[in-house]
Amino acid sequence: MHGDSAVPTRSRFRPRDLFSEAVLSLLAHSGRSALTAAGIVLGCAAFVATMGISATLSRQVSASFDIARATQVVVHQPADEARKSGAATVGSPVPLWQRPTAVDRLRRLNGVDSAGPRMTLPERTLARTLSTGGSDTQAKIVGVDAGALAVIEPHLIRGRYFDRFHDRTAAPVVLLPANLARVLNIDRVGVAIFVDDRPYTVIGVFDDVTRETATMGSVVMPFSTAQLLVAGSATVPPERAVLIEVRPGAAHPIGNQAPLALLPEASGQLESIAPPDPLTLRRAVEENVTMLVLVVSFIALGVGTFSIATAATAGVTARAAEIGLRRAIGARPRHIFVQLLTETTLLGTVGGIVGSALGIVAVVAVALSNGWEPILDVRTAALAAAGGVVTGLIAGLLPGWRATRVQPVAALRQ
Amino acid sequence: MTAVLSLRQAGRSYDDGHVVRALRPTDLTIERGDYITVTGPSGSGKSTLLNLIGLLDRPDVGTCHILGRDASSFSEAERGALRGEMFGFVFQAFHLVPGRSAVENVELGMLYGRHPARRRRALAREAIIRVRLAHRADSDPRTMSGGERQRVALARAVAGDPVVLFCDEPTGNLDGANTENVLELLRQLHGEGMTLVVVTHDSKVAAQGTRRLRVDDGVVREGA
Repeated sequence: MHGDSAVPTRSRFRPRDLFSEAVLSLLAHSGRSALTAAGIVLGCAAFVATMGISATLSRQVSASFDIARATQVVVHQPADEARKSGAATVGSPVPLWQRPTAVDRLRRLNGVDSAGPRMTLPERTLARTLSTGGSDTQAKIVGVDAGALAVIEPHLIRGRYFDRFHDRTAAPVVLLPANLARVLNIDRVGVAIFVDDRPYTVIGVFDDVTRETATMGSVVMPFSTAQLLVAGSATVPPERAVLIEVRPGAAHPIGNQAPLALLPEASGQLESIAPPDPLTLRRAVEENVTMLVLVVSFIALGVGTFSIATAATAGVTARAAEIGLRRAIGARPRHIFVQLLTETTLLGTVGGIVGSALGIVAVVAVALSNGWEPILDVRTAALAAAGGVVTGLIAGLLPGWRATRVQPVAALRQ
Repeated sequence: MTAVLSLRQAGRSYDDGHVVRALRPTDLTIERGDYITVTGPSGSGKSTLLNLIGLLDRPDVGTCHILGRDASSFSEAERGALRGEMFGFVFQAFHLVPGRSAVENVELGMLYGRHPARRRRALAREAIIRVRLAHRADSDPRTMSGGERQRVALARAVAGDPVVLFCDEPTGNLDGANTENVLELLRQLHGEGMTLVVVTHDSKVAAQGTRRLRVDDGVVREGA
């Protein structure tokens, strides 16, 4: 056998040998391997978590969005139009578009559930007793008729709503939000409070509202009762609006028709604020999410590539003797290159899978702790894992090339 | 009959700020079955000579021929095959891979060669038995003595049955008994027809050779 005189043809590196050499090599430096893959694990976890949590959130957003916001339209008069029409003067009467005849025209539109005028007065002094001073407080006054009250839909914890009777007679009654009631030491209905030294009877206390959350800090009274306050000592004109609750899907047509119904002779003076079209909104949310995810995944890919490439390049120096030995026992430069590439790709793959799993755990944990329905797309996790593979592959190019420059003579040096 | 290896006016110098002539242009022919020992002081160019004829390095003047063919005409694939299958190397520092058993280290020597994994395992077992380390076949080299490691390195070099075996200071770190063991193995291999090139400091080892080379300041002389 020693007499075999033919020159051997080619050295080779079988795929199975390549795979087992790469795995053995990674396991031999398991600590270094784990640290190297950490960047990919974090990147993929961040990617899956971002995608999952934003998908979960957007489902949540559109769910709550559909209930209240999508069924509300507000009509008001822009400030410059109000000045022109003279409605902005102090002590002005109720403008035509807030009067019962106008609002009745609006209520007849198909798709309107309830509607009514609202005025918001600047802050007034509230007191439990007449002119004691000290314990008094300030709050805005909201005047609404029964229709507008139905739109706001305060959640009562005590007492009752006012109705058409109170509005028609300008009865001195108020609804108080719970926080104001607490400040004024009111724990039952039927007691009196003073607003600008006029007495009012508290007939209800509410702790939440379905729409118009700004109402939470204000004293709510019948529209005609509030109008009497305007005629009094007001120095700033009230903000006026008509609140409309519409059936789901009707917000847009009603938003277009409401100014015409309220003020047919000059509908241009009014402006209606309808909620954004749910479809547009959802698309916008999704676009935002997609952008965010793109940014996150590029950062993740960059960090992962950098950490693997850095560690593997440093590893080439540390492994010079091993690489030299491999060259001396027959490895071609390309065998060395392929082995390093396989090692970083394996690291990237394992990192991608572990990271995706962690991301899924994070999404489920966040969703469950908030009582949401977790939305997980299998494709997201698969994409993240694939990203890990690609990252590992790219990260191996530079150290792989560096390794091919290690000469076999290196194995002979100590 | 064609010489296994020959150098024709082959030399090597390194540019390390100033030019160091590690090996002056040398003519050397190695025939099949030679047992060549190379002696000389440290830094004289022994290792450079070994690297050139073992295809671990390339001459910058002259040519190196393998079985009559100019080595610079070989592709990387052929050079790899020559190193892996026709040559065997025993390095001074052993270069065993920690974390792999003795027999796995021996298998590694044939990794890039023509044998499939199962055959490599069988050949590695034979080689381990041959160097009388069967009892340590599954031990990690880190737990082995210097003599045992040297024998694993020797088993790795010869398991694939190379034509030429290169040894760099094979007894450099060994005591008398272990040195005698290694020399006995080298004599056996030579007896079976293997060509040996052994670099050594030890005159006792050098005396074993059928041809003795001495390198001084990059110049190779024969028969010293």
